[in-house]
Amino acid sequence: MSANTGSELKIVGFLCNWCSYGGADTAGVGRFQQPTDLRIIRVPCSGRIDPLFVLKSLFNGADGVLVSGCHPRDCHYAEGNFYARRRLEVLKRFLPILGIDERRFEYTWVSASEGQKWKTVVQTFTERIHELGPAPKLDQCLMERAQAMAMAV
Amino acid sequence: MSNLDTLKAKIKERLPDLDMVVGWEQGFDPLRATPLFMRTEEDVDRLIWNPLCVHNLATYLPGLKGRKVGVVVKGCDSRSIIELLQEKLINRDDIVVFSMPCEGVVSVRKIQNRIGSLDYVESVEADTGTVKVTVDGSSQSFGFPDVAASKCGRCQYHTALLSDEFVGEPNNEKAEDDYSDVTSFEARPQEERLAFWMTEMQRCIQCYACRNACPLCVCRDHCVAQSRDPHWMTQENSTQNKWFFQVIHAMHLAGRCTECGECERACPVGIPLLLLKRKLNKEIEELFDYKAGTLIDSTPPLQAFKVEEDNINERGW
Amino acid sequence: MKIGVFVCHCGSNIAGTVNVGSVAEEALKLPSVAFASDTMYACSEPGQDAIIEAIKEHRLDGVVVASCSPRMHEPTFRKTVERAGLNRYMFEMANIREHVSWIGKDKDANTRKAVDLVAMAVAKLTQDRELTPKTFDINKRVLVIGGGVAGIQAALDCADGGLEVVLVEKTSSIGGKMSKLDKTFPTVDCSSCILGPKMVDVAQHPNITLYASSEVADVKGYVGNFNVSINRKATYVDWAACTGCGLCMEKCPSKKSRDVFNEEIGTTTAINIPFPQAIPKKASIDPEFCLKLTKGKCGVCEKVCPTNAIRFEQKQETAEEAVGAIITATGYDLFDYTRYEEYGGGRYADVITSLQYERLLSASGPTGGHIKRPSDGKEPKDVVFIQCVGSRDKSVDRPYCSGFCCMYTAKQAILTKDHLPESQSYVFYMDIRAPGKLYDEFTRRAMEEYGTKYIRGRVAMVYPKGDKYIVRGADTLMGAQVEVEADLVVLAVGAEAAKGAPQLAEKLRISYDAYGFYMESHPKLRPVETNTAGVFLAGSCQGPKDIPTSVGQGSAAAAKVLALFSKDQLESDPQVSVVDIKRCVGCGKCIQTCPFGAIEEMDFRGMPKANVIETICQGCGICTSTCPQGAIQLQHFTDNQILAEVNAICQQTPAQNLK
Repeated sequence: MSANTGSELKIVGFLCNWCSYGGADTAGVGRFQQPTDLRIIRVPCSGRIDPLFVLKSLFNGADGVLVSGCHPRDCHYAEGNFYARRRLEVLKRFLPILGIDERRFEYTWVSASEGQKWKTVVQTFTERIHELGPAPKLDQCLMERAQAMAMAV
Repeated sequence: MSNLDTLKAKIKERLPDLDMVVGWEQGFDPLRATPLFMRTEEDVDRLIWNPLCVHNLATYLPGLKGRKVGVVVKGCDSRSIIELLQEKLINRDDIVVFSMPCEGVVSVRKIQNRIGSLDYVESVEADTGTVKVTVDGSSQSFGFPDVAASKCGRCQYHTALLSDEFVGEPNNEKAEDDYSDVTSFEARPQEERLAFWMTEMQRCIQCYACRNACPLCVCRDHCVAQSRDPHWMTQENSTQNKWFFQVIHAMHLAGRCTECGECERACPVGIPLLLLKRKLNKEIEELFDYKAGTLIDSTPPLQAFKVEEDNINERGW
Repeated sequence: MKIGVFVCHCGSNIAGTVNVGSVAEEALKLPSVAFASDTMYACSEPGQDAIIEAIKEHRLDGVVVASCSPRMHEPTFRKTVERAGLNRYMFEMANIREHVSWIGKDKDANTRKAVDLVAMAVAKLTQDRELTPKTFDINKRVLVIGGGVAGIQAALDCADGGLEVVLVEKTSSIGGKMSKLDKTFPTVDCSSCILGPKMVDVAQHPNITLYASSEVADVKGYVGNFNVSINRKATYVDWAACTGCGLCMEKCPSKKSRDVFNEEIGTTTAINIPFPQAIPKKASIDPEFCLKLTKGKCGVCEKVCPTNAIRFEQKQETAEEAVGAIITATGYDLFDYTRYEEYGGGRYADVITSLQYERLLSASGPTGGHIKRPSDGKEPKDVVFIQCVGSRDKSVDRPYCSGFCCMYTAKQAILTKDHLPESQSYVFYMDIRAPGKLYDEFTRRAMEEYGTKYIRGRVAMVYPKGDKYIVRGADTLMGAQVEVEADLVVLAVGAEAAKGAPQLAEKLRISYDAYGFYMESHPKLRPVETNTAGVFLAGSCQGPKDIPTSVGQGSAAAAKVLALFSKDQLESDPQVSVVDIKRCVGCGKCIQTCPFGAIEEMDFRGMPKANVIETICQGCGICTSTCPQGAIQLQHFTDNQILAEVNAICQQTPAQNLK
């Protein structure tokens, strides 16, 4: 469990209340041990997740963002995750042009009963973020490097 | 009678039923056109149609909603009108669209890059072959493709997709658009891409000309950039904050942007803003086989879904 | 704003792996936090009292409790803060048990995470606004869809409770699958004798309006105020005039009509009353077989009808009903027995379904209750029952157990012996599922008293040999191939979702599973509720059920409706979307994406604007992430509230940003 050693990275989770948040609860009730990096924000539905929340997190210094909702065709609100699927897929494909590693963002579907699956999702994603390391912070330091790079080109 | 004269005659014919017709007239110097709001027949006589007519006049339409307005458009501008109609931001009954086949417009920025100062432009002779500009006593000629707007090189819509009065022979040529600008940028190392935007966005002066020129930016007075409610942006003028505004703009336009390029053209410091929107359009076309502003009856893909998506694999572990 | 933070030990559940004391200490350093403490059990009575006391003593504007999942105790603490005089939405929870203490053992890391989660909850609370539910009147009428035993029970209980009931039944008579059964397990009492009186009660109850031969076409509205369109199919008989005398049936010359009630084991007349106990006892014409309607000549029924009730020109009509709640009891359909080609169902006349066999056993059935083979009318000697036909079989996409087949097969084996004492029954089974009161005893009786031979194993094939059939299968207990000679083969077909169930679900805006069975709100604790307020479930539409369970659910659903209607007004959840009229540009994107039709266009000084119908809005927030203007905001999950949480995690201070 590489993710648990060393200090945590900032991973933001956006979970729908009905499925994935319940799945994370189920994982807790089942005492499925997970890395501690993830901080979960509860939203009613994955359809509530504006892709800009993900971008805002990444711009503000999150090292990874994980979104999870009900499985397609199983949305508490019938259609929310269908909209989410399109928005999040577009977002994932948008990230490279910004110079943001698209692996820092992932979306998936976990139901309230899938505690074991949730553990796997958290573990896999956290390990991935630790392999990528801390995200470059959009600060003065980066600015200076960027300018040096621009001069060199 | 030239096409332009025919167009003027048509506009005069329709003008009595309209509050105004928006077109172009010669601006403050021979290189620059400027929007013209025609209310009388005398106004119509000032109308021009040439490669200097760079503005997308559809931008004015949402602000004039509720009034009877005519608008002169190039092929690419007509896509903005279709998108506006599709999103019910303007009423079809209230607008009359005038158009002629377009052979491309110049990029003033490209000319400026070649000449240097454009402060004293004395004369311009522009056609689709060459552009001859005389500045401060000295003349320079350029091949039209070298100083045409980038969007014209990949134009698929020389002829307006929607018009009530069309003058001239429709031109149905279609150039290939392989999004090579996007792919070549993405071929650069990730760190370089990030650095590129940081250095570009540092130059942003937050004038929001990009937003004001965008025909589909409809928040207007309630733009989060100024109202900061919802609190997407802070009051700092940090590069991060300025860049985030462009990301908001791009995401708001996902599946809606018709690539008229007004954001980029209007930017006084020349930040290549269209690249972000082109990237989104490339992905949206791949995912949903959709081009914004081509069909009035279709729905922007992010306001729709399919139970089984054709090109999105279910993600999961 | 003054916020109080309470960090719960939950005994050792949280305190064991989180330093709750330092979480409270860190919380106190947050801006806006005026009070913070740790507490042994926040949800206990002393725990809640301490919260109330702190609110009063420190004049708190809002409270954060860091404890278990909000899915567990959010309602509890909302009531607590309300008791202290705060608005119940000025409350947030940080889930430091399920999401922290139970999933990690590193106390330092857990404590850091708990501090972050508390900071997020505090940040959100600073953006919280007081929300007040609105009240609205309810229409105390109930629609019951489906007139099987579950629907009948629900309708009767609601009607006895004083509610006006609209009962809609697709076929021409109520009674459902139960009315086709001869006897019921495990008591072997006569099905129509126990169901019949209930059906009569429905017909005679002054509070029940029955629409037979009718289907729900459309449902609009929301809990308390649904508007339902009902399609009344053409029966070609004026039911107000028809007395059910049956003279038309005697004289009708088209005697080869499809006999749906008898599972097509025989034929009936084109004009018919499906069975003697039918409710309503009215004739209807099958237009596919009626000579007058197909060929234009005949009209015998018209001539003989003593009340002149025949209406060949009748058309489908639509009725509108306004109700406040809906009970769905649409039941199940049988698995298509021809799908197992190896059993020969549909090809061999004497391979029949269990429900067809039930009609052969029934005294009101086509054979008058004498067991006769469909092929030659002979009494069978060896009867083979094959279980799990369309149950527990992934290869036909029916992995679930239909639950009642084991029991009815045992019943049918017993009845076979009763009818034909010389007969011998064989049952091929996978496992015996008999987990009800007196159920296992009943299957034992079938084996021990009635000598039914149970063979554990699946049947490979059935093929004819002379005028008999060979049933070849495995006996997995003996580890051998077996072949049984049979005169009659009965397939214990499983249950599947009723045809049209998904379509109805979409009208009702309720969800259904992969097989078309309706989803209950919670598999254990809300078994007859759905996730759409005001729509309830009863019986097999939710999954295969036997009679006692269906009846129990019918009563349960009725109780839920009566409880709902015990108030004159309902409170709407204030966590709904609200439109900022100034920002709205009237583009209608929210109207387009709302799955519930909860947003309408309205005219505001000549400009189109979006308007949320609060009672329909379910609070998903799809509209909020659709609107680029941020003009429509889901209350309690606004952009600003979620952004506050994002910023609390990422915590990029201005100093870190470049100028």
